[in-house]
Amino acid sequence: MSATGDGSARPGTSASPEGPGMSIHLRPARDADVPVLVPLLLRLKRLNEEFDPLLKVRDDADEQARQVLHANLADPKAIVLAAEGVGADKDRVVGFVRAVVRERPFYVPEHEGVILDIYLLPLYRRRGVGEYLLREISAALKAKGAGVVTAEFPAQNEIASRFYAKRGFRPITAIHARSL
Amino acid sequence: MTNPANVSGKVLINRSPVLDAFMAESSVAPVATGRMGRRRSRPAPGTAQKREEETDAYGRRAVELSAFYQGKIETVPKVPVRSLDDFALWYTPGVAEVSRAIHAHPDLSFSLTGRWNTVAIVTDGSRVLGLGDIGPRAALPVMEGKALLFKFLGGVDAIPIPIQVSSPDQFIATVEALAPAFGGINLEDIASPKCFGILEGLSKRLSIPVWHDDQLGTAAATVAGLLNALELTHRSVEEVRTVLLGAGAANLVTARLLLALGHDPHRLTLVDQRGVLHAERDDVDELMVRNPWKYRLALRTNGGGRSGDLAHALDGADVLLAASTPDPDTVKPAYVRSMAPDPIVFALANPVPEIWPDVARSAGAAIVATGRSDFPNQVNNSLVFPAVFRGVLDARARAIPDEVVLVAARELAAGTKRRGLTPHHLLPTMEESEVFPEVAAAVGDAAVRLGIARTKLSHEEFLDRARTLMGRSAKLVRALARARLTPPMPRVARRGGRRR
Repeated sequence: MSATGDGSARPGTSASPEGPGMSIHLRPARDADVPVLVPLLLRLKRLNEEFDPLLKVRDDADEQARQVLHANLADPKAIVLAAEGVGADKDRVVGFVRAVVRERPFYVPEHEGVILDIYLLPLYRRRGVGEYLLREISAALKAKGAGVVTAEFPAQNEIASRFYAKRGFRPITAIHARSL
Repeated sequence: MTNPANVSGKVLINRSPVLDAFMAESSVAPVATGRMGRRRSRPAPGTAQKREEETDAYGRRAVELSAFYQGKIETVPKVPVRSLDDFALWYTPGVAEVSRAIHAHPDLSFSLTGRWNTVAIVTDGSRVLGLGDIGPRAALPVMEGKALLFKFLGGVDAIPIPIQVSSPDQFIATVEALAPAFGGINLEDIASPKCFGILEGLSKRLSIPVWHDDQLGTAAATVAGLLNALELTHRSVEEVRTVLLGAGAANLVTARLLLALGHDPHRLTLVDQRGVLHAERDDVDELMVRNPWKYRLALRTNGGGRSGDLAHALDGADVLLAASTPDPDTVKPAYVRSMAPDPIVFALANPVPEIWPDVARSAGAAIVATGRSDFPNQVNNSLVFPAVFRGVLDARARAIPDEVVLVAARELAAGTKRRGLTPHHLLPTMEESEVFPEVAAAVGDAAVRLGIARTKLSHEEFLDRARTLMGRSAKLVRALARARLTPPMPRVARRGGRRR
């Protein structure tokens, strides 16, 4: 499950994050980034708690996040991109995007790139950075053979819904849950 | 309708076993004072208990009088009825032609009916005064009181409409359905943050002004007082550093208005129960979902990257605008001492300010304002909403954008200045009622200038109209009392005595 940041990019503005006063540098994440990526990933998962009690974050989520990230970094089917600030925030990781390529045994296209998490620190939102991350991860997933890009996020997260809807995404499958 | 049994004024209370039981159980003491409504001297902090007793006494008396008058407003015909034949004009068959005219030209509903001067006071009872979520029925006496203020101060016919709804969307849909009868909507006593979404949603959907006093009225009065306080201390809104304590309905809008006035967002800091609001605080993502209005301010404000509590935020600040919890220890004297020279302190919590005015002044505050009428500089919604509604209703305005709210704030400040600006006279008192038609006229002018007025009057016409309509209600109330159509207020019951 994942969610985006506040995707309400101002209408009519370009998605370029390289405008004056605002830019980020996007690069593949490394093992050395994991300690700074963990808190960002957990912030996102804690946000998801807002949407459904079945998205309550585990007590050991911290350790899980570390393991998952290391596993993703070693997995050729996974992509983790780190967003670094510039200027005063140079070399500081201010956001990330995490995705995997999954096989679709019954459908075409045969491979789908699934965006699991996009997270940006609040100060980097509302400036087109989220859109830039989405564009870059889409390109990277395509390069790994994905013919379709999907995004997973809590059903009640209307901010994420709007963010993706504005960029041409539509719901194709739904996951419904009840406790056992 | 007044209970005929009370017209003689001899029956103090309409006996009701349920009410008697409530009054017997109620902790409030019997009324022992006849000083209601009179101006009182400034109390020292030590008299807080006495003030509580007085508040109890008001409560007791209000229940008795409510049982006597059984409602605070009623509808009164505004046309002559010389004989029953006149109903052929006021009602069928004549009225059909009036309906046909409005059907052909919907905006004629503003000139052929009372719509132009009628406002709905709508609440879901989710945050009534300091009582919390007591529901729409229990909110009704407050809405009736507000309707009385609307009529008495603004000459506006206001209808109390507490509604039973289960979601903001249902609230919006209900008010939208009611709108054809009204020239304006006054939202009242709705919990924050849902009040923001409801005001925004209704403002978008309706082509009549929508107002929420807890947001706009308080913010406009605060900004008006602040503009004068800055003038007195030779500072401008562009250069000051301001701390807002409390991030509820009033302060979030005050912040928005200050930014619109050119306040540097980096020099504006909001503080709530969790301390300084800033973009990296743990709960910011939650705010994005639960309270996007506060979230947006978290991202824009506090440029110095301050964090921590109120004490950290206030260090070196020029202005404190507190609209938080009624506790006189919230703002400590040491915090005021740490502010920039000639600090401005607005402690607006009711009934008890966040710091007592004399304490704030002893700690160096150059100017102090509170929400109370018994101290100088009362920041009071009633300074704003009657005039704003008078103005927008006379212009048959389609909305109340922030520009109009700021015009009202500026004019309120200017009107005070024309009458002599001092550190103890930042805002008009309710007695300086000649200011309010001036505010109404400025609001009317602004509506015309912004292209949202259905009726374009000149400044003099707006002013004349406002003076007439705002002055009329006091005359009406006096005339009804003289004619004994409003029974005189019954005598006060003796402490512990029989109520007869």
